[in-house]
Amino acid sequence: MNKSTLGEFEEIVLLIVAILSGDAYSVTIISEIEERLDRNVSLGAVQTVLKRLEKKGLLTSDLGDATNERGGKRKRLYEITAEGQELLDLNKAQRNSLWNAIPKLSFNF
Amino acid sequence: MNPKEHKPLRIALAFFNWYCHPDFREEIEGDLMERFNRYCLKYGYAKANRLFVKDVLFLFRPAIIGNIYHLTHTDTMELTHQNKRLITILAIALSILLIPFIAMGFTNEVNWSVFDFLLIGVLLFGAGLVLELILRKVKTLRYRIILGIALFAVLLLVWVELAVGIFGTPLAGS
Repeated sequence: MNKSTLGEFEEIVLLIVAILSGDAYSVTIISEIEERLDRNVSLGAVQTVLKRLEKKGLLTSDLGDATNERGGKRKRLYEITAEGQELLDLNKAQRNSLWNAIPKLSFNF
Repeated sequence: MNPKEHKPLRIALAFFNWYCHPDFREEIEGDLMERFNRYCLKYGYAKANRLFVKDVLFLFRPAIIGNIYHLTHTDTMELTHQNKRLITILAIALSILLIPFIAMGFTNEVNWSVFDFLLIGVLLFGAGLVLELILRKVKTLRYRIILGIALFAVLLLVWVELAVGIFGTPLAGS
């Protein structure tokens, strides 16, 4: 998978980071995915994808505050970059064009 | 309130701290602790601990481990070059053994019993020790390569024989 294509789970994580805008870290991303998509994902899967997306330049990150709930450890907050936003817009446009291209007869049974 | 109840399993946390790359350790440990505390509130301490162990095992992947140098570097003792190499070889054997263990959490196609893990563990660690012996005793690069390839071939053949009985030997139950 190169920089200009997104896997299905990569796209989901990128969208969730955009939705959470400013409060996106592993735990909140997993909660959002479970709530919105009714889908269980592991911390390892999300961490791997976040690091991959950051390496591709689609996300940036910074260390946030530590809390007692986190045992005094800081969280790493992610934000979508302009490049990431562009790629999401492109993906959305491509999917819409495919949906619109389906002949009307296809759904008549 | 028992203060112990709010701490996850120490051995799991120690395992995580060992394999996780230092650059990611703080944030991921924080994530693990946050999830553990939420599990405690939702499910109770016993289940929270099980889920914590599951989180730690599912984090054991290349993106989190990074380069393996930090796995053999310790602050508490000076390791010789040979011992560092041995630890690295054994760590690789353990990593290979963890692949089917983790795969079993994702699919029913992989179904290993405890005996299977023990058998392959003995095979892998045995091969690792033989490799270290070759590297310590054989000084010529050419012979090291020949013996290393021979060892790898034997390991592969024994594994394939155990798995599918390709040669029909008693090893495979023929």
